[in-house]
Amino acid sequence: MTALLLLQEAAHGEGGFTPFSINTGLIFWTVIVFLLLLAFLWKLGWPALLKSVEERERRIQQQLDEAARAQAESARLLEEHKRMVAAARSEAQEMVAKAKTLAEKERETLLATARHEYEQLLARARKDIEAEKEKAILELRREAVDLSIAAASKLIEAKLDTEANRRLVTEYLATLGRPQ
Amino acid sequence: MMQGPDIGKAIFEHTSDSRVVELPFGLGEWHLPTGWRLFGIDVSPTKHVVFMGIAAALVFLTIWYAGRQVERRHREGKAPSGFGAAIEAIVLFVRNDVAIANIGHGGEKFAPYILTLFFFILYCNLLGLVPWGATPTGNLAVTGALALTAFLTVEISGFRALGPKGYLKTIVFVPPGMSGLGAVAMALIMTPIEIIGKIVKPFALTLRLFANMTAGHFVILSLLGLIFVFAGSWVVGLVAPAAVLFVVGMMLLELLVAFLQAYIFALLTSVFIGLMQHAH
Repeated sequence: MTALLLLQEAAHGEGGFTPFSINTGLIFWTVIVFLLLLAFLWKLGWPALLKSVEERERRIQQQLDEAARAQAESARLLEEHKRMVAAARSEAQEMVAKAKTLAEKERETLLATARHEYEQLLARARKDIEAEKEKAILELRREAVDLSIAAASKLIEAKLDTEANRRLVTEYLATLGRPQ
Repeated sequence: MMQGPDIGKAIFEHTSDSRVVELPFGLGEWHLPTGWRLFGIDVSPTKHVVFMGIAAALVFLTIWYAGRQVERRHREGKAPSGFGAAIEAIVLFVRNDVAIANIGHGGEKFAPYILTLFFFILYCNLLGLVPWGATPTGNLAVTGALALTAFLTVEISGFRALGPKGYLKTIVFVPPGMSGLGAVAMALIMTPIEIIGKIVKPFALTLRLFANMTAGHFVILSLLGLIFVFAGSWVVGLVAPAAVLFVVGMMLLELLVAFLQAYIFALLTSVFIGLMQHAH
């Protein structure tokens, strides 16, 4: 009741307004003021602010994109580098293996040559020794014959037929020289 | 009962519109012209029209100045700073987290409208906290007109986004999968509800803003009125400091509410636009 009385009383006051009265004229004014503000800001206010903001957003996005691209690029380079290192390593291994087999073959041929030469030398030496031995035996035999004859002739000089004796001794010595 | 001054009348006079504007620092009163008529409607300016004009001018100055500053810093390749950065932060918040977040794809188109709405309401709210000030948003005609622009924006943008057929579906609603008699029955039941739903939204906007702004002023003025009620009694020595303390607290709360209500109005308008844009 009091509130209603207050409303009535206030309505009689300055301009006939209460906090709850709806003034149609004010609706008109509000729309006018708001639309004017909207138009002014649309033309002169927001573009400056929002353009800068949008441009900055775009720039930041661009930088982010660029960073992502750079990262992808670096990842790609790293991958390529790794691949290159792996290729180089396998190549080096291959080269080392090849060198090893080559060295092995070389060693083998060298050894074979050396063995051959050594065997040849040995054979020659053996043949030489054999020949020398033969010669020495022959020499010794003749010497023995001569010495025996000399001794025998000294011993039985007078009586004995030298030629017959000589044959006898030679025959004997020949039996000595033959291997038993 | 104590015979005090008529506090109720004083409160009503303070919060209601008037044909007289109190000039600050005791410079007297400015009697606004009367008798302006347009199409049979009294369109004489009132106190709230004057303060709306002040609010609009301040909003324009703020945004214009901030825009200039931000643009200059941007041209120099620097990050914004100072006043421009502060306004830019609010603008960005309203644009990204209120307009675009709730309207969804295509929200940038509505950002200038939502931003203007937010700043205009905020400044109107704040003008009520200034000495000699008045709160235009504490007036049903003002909040109603703002809600009307929101309503028209919602409906017209919805019509343009959905096309005539799609828009008609937001009025005559038939649940998907229904046909024949069931569809007719559902349409008959749902259509009034859909229409009421459309109209309720601006009404809710109107009353929420008006009630929040007016209620705050009522509380502050009532608290201050207590001092006058108890004037002449020894109790006033206790009441006056307590009342002033409470008023300071209420003023701080009002400051919060001024921002909050501007935010809510902008947010709900965005939500309503978004709902229409993505209906079905």
